[in-house]
Amino acid sequence: MADDKTPAAADNPYTQTHTVQSGDTLSKIAQKYYGDASLYTKIFEANRDQLKDPNRIFPGQKLRIP
Amino acid sequence: MKKLSVWLLAVLAALAIAGCASQKGPAEQAVASAESALASVRDMAQKYAPEQLGGVEAQLQSLKDSLAQGDYKGVLAAAPALTTAISSLKDTATAKQAEAEAALAKAKDAWGPMSADVPKMVDAIQSRVDILSKSHHLPKGVTKDSLQAAESGLSSMKSAWSDASNAASSGDFTTAMSKGQAVKDQATQIMQSLGMSSS
Repeated sequence: MADDKTPAAADNPYTQTHTVQSGDTLSKIAQKYYGDASLYTKIFEANRDQLKDPNRIFPGQKLRIP
Repeated sequence: MKKLSVWLLAVLAALAIAGCASQKGPAEQAVASAESALASVRDMAQKYAPEQLGGVEAQLQSLKDSLAQGDYKGVLAAAPALTTAISSLKDTATAKQAEAEAALAKAKDAWGPMSADVPKMVDAIQSRVDILSKSHHLPKGVTKDSLQAAESGLSSMKSAWSDASNAASSGDFTTAMSKGQAVKDQATQIMQSLGMSSS
């Protein structure tokens, strides 16, 4: 069982995923899954392989929600 | 007449003794054969058919008692039934051994995917619990109770998973699968309680 939780999410099939819809932001997604928009950085860090900027996400992107 | 009767009795007694003596060897041989046959299946029977073994042991003991009492005729009369019982015991134990080995092989095959899956489920839950414990508000559908249950569940799952892994390491894949499945079921339930189904 991994100690470093966020990187482990990358190859973990049990990590929840969210498909970005039009109008989504990382904050909104964090609010939905964590109840706290300020935790958006957790989602950003778990998706660094496909996100360069936390303010730029696109509909259809499949994000890991650690 | 009296002399004739005494003579006749003596002859009959001699014939009876001779008859008994002629049965002693075969009776001893029958008991020895039964003991040998039972010895060859005892270990397997003890493991796979202990109750049936108990019955056969009792039959053998009865035969030995008869032999010790000189009831050679009784020994020879009962020996075929014991032979049949030992043969049946061997069949039962062999079948149950085959069943157990098949179940073990099946469990061993299933352990591979299980051992890959469960730690990942636990990691995913741990990650979510760590994040939710930092959240100022819980998301819709997740309660403080379910988060608390997930936290304590993680602890028990890790312990149970360690037991399952140890069982697998020692070759007991049946126990490993049983314990592993319990952890997997618990993990599935916790993931549901934390709303961890993908959208």
